[in-house]
Amino acid sequence: MIIFTAPNMKADTAANSTSLTPLHELQGSGLFGQISKVATNLRTYWFLVQQLVKVEMQVEFRRSFLGMGWLLIVPLVAVAVWILLNGAGVISPGDTGIPYPAYVLLSTSIWGFFAEAYRRCGRLIESYGRLLLSTPFPVETLFAQAVIVHLIRFVIPLGLNLLVLLIFGVRFTAAALLFPFALLPLLLLGCGFGLLIAPLRLIATDITRISDEGIRLLMYLTPIVYAPKVEISFLASIIALNPLTYLVGFPRDLLTKGQFFEPVTFGLCSLGSLLFFLIALWLFRTSEARVRERLIAN
Amino acid sequence: MGKKVLLSADHLYKKFSKDLRQSMRHGIEDIIRGSLGMHRDGRQLRSGEIFALKDINFHLNAHEILGITGVNGSGKTTLMRLISGIYEPDAGVVKGLPGLKVTAIFALGAGMQALFTGRENIYIKGAMYGMSREEVDAKIPFIEDFSELGERLDRPFGNYSSGMKARLSYSIAMATEPDVFIIDESLAVGDSAFKAKCLDNLREFADQPGKGVIFVSNQIRKILKIADRLLVMDHGAIIHETKDIDAGLEFYIKNCYAHLGEDKQESKLQKVKNYEL
Repeated sequence: MIIFTAPNMKADTAANSTSLTPLHELQGSGLFGQISKVATNLRTYWFLVQQLVKVEMQVEFRRSFLGMGWLLIVPLVAVAVWILLNGAGVISPGDTGIPYPAYVLLSTSIWGFFAEAYRRCGRLIESYGRLLLSTPFPVETLFAQAVIVHLIRFVIPLGLNLLVLLIFGVRFTAAALLFPFALLPLLLLGCGFGLLIAPLRLIATDITRISDEGIRLLMYLTPIVYAPKVEISFLASIIALNPLTYLVGFPRDLLTKGQFFEPVTFGLCSLGSLLFFLIALWLFRTSEARVRERLIAN
Repeated sequence: MGKKVLLSADHLYKKFSKDLRQSMRHGIEDIIRGSLGMHRDGRQLRSGEIFALKDINFHLNAHEILGITGVNGSGKTTLMRLISGIYEPDAGVVKGLPGLKVTAIFALGAGMQALFTGRENIYIKGAMYGMSREEVDAKIPFIEDFSELGERLDRPFGNYSSGMKARLSYSIAMATEPDVFIIDESLAVGDSAFKAKCLDNLREFADQPGKGVIFVSNQIRKILKIADRLLVMDHGAIIHETKDIDAGLEFYIKNCYAHLGEDKQESKLQKVKNYEL
């Protein structure tokens, strides 16, 4: 223990500085240091992640009598629409190998998995930043919450969609068991984009607007509502260069045909997605504190 | 008698931008510099920036209740946010004993979910403070007892009066068993009985080994009763430090009216004393 009596404040702190250490580490260490820090923090704050998931899942249904039943009702209605469409006999725009409505249903569902990951991660600071102004907790808990809620909310409509595919006459093979893993790169890419955009949503709204619209546009440049083989050459080359063609196509063909769609390109795109995600997570953590102080609380 | 220093702020600087667009521009610049590992001297103002805090130095001793007062906008809350790690300083460092746990309560009901009951919010807020489910479970009797909310604990938090919110917020923060407890103007709305209980509790808390309290308030009477030392802030700087709380508050009030003459200062001082004491 250090003893002092001098009334001068600066002298006091100087005399004691040997026993005191910096209370808060500054953000901004290297990529791998940050990643391991994320892992430690998530372990320490796992209970917070659970609580945040509970809040996010329940908050919109608290005042509703049907409650979480809505999670089932909305996709059921969507499925009913698809079955009606199929009965009405929609024209097939290219050889999709399976009934066109089934193809579109599955593709949009896989696309939604990507787009929703982007949307949830992209709004993290905007939606929850104010919590961080009152209690300091690791920001990655918010990210973990977003991913878990996203997965829970995706599973219900996916299960129904798979049922519809069976009704449409699609038969799954053993390869379909790999489907959940085949979706991982899409999750990484969607979250990566979202994490990059989340801080910018507060300080560079022009960029986030472009990005939000860009993602919407990207859906039409990815074979979602049409087959990967198109006649128009410039569109064909965009599709061939678009990594989402492979990231969406691979899991879709796994389910519907039991085949691996362009496995090498898919592997490379997956690796790229992983790297992109790690860099985005690192940037998110390093920039979050600087963005937090620019939050305009209301 | 020797005193142990729990926490110190060394040459802290914090800048904010006056203009919204400029703030966004500087934010982008900071992010790019931060991710490239480039650092700039945080003590230099860029265009449109002002110092929210400028060269702040102070320390908190064990067993001490440190009062901090100052006019609105003098930087008290910003300083507390730097100490609790919500903001990063632009320059300088906050130091503490290794493993020191700082718990701060700012705005009432911050981080609480209006649609969830008080009891559910104990778990949510406790988790934000880094507690596990078992730790919160173990503290429920204390929180029930200290907040005195009874069956109202099971009503939606959004329906609580501000005094009830204060009771719950204070009880949860106390349940985290901090080493340094920061209260930022959050007791003002509690009823008299609860305020008295909190002030007693703060003194008991600070008397434990290795504990200290930072009490940010403009309620002069409360500071007089409870603080061991007083810091007065103005325009982002600590302009006065004293153990004579009475004299310190007098200095503070006179400083508020520094632009007036001696006579007027005296009459304003009497007025404030009339209302506050």
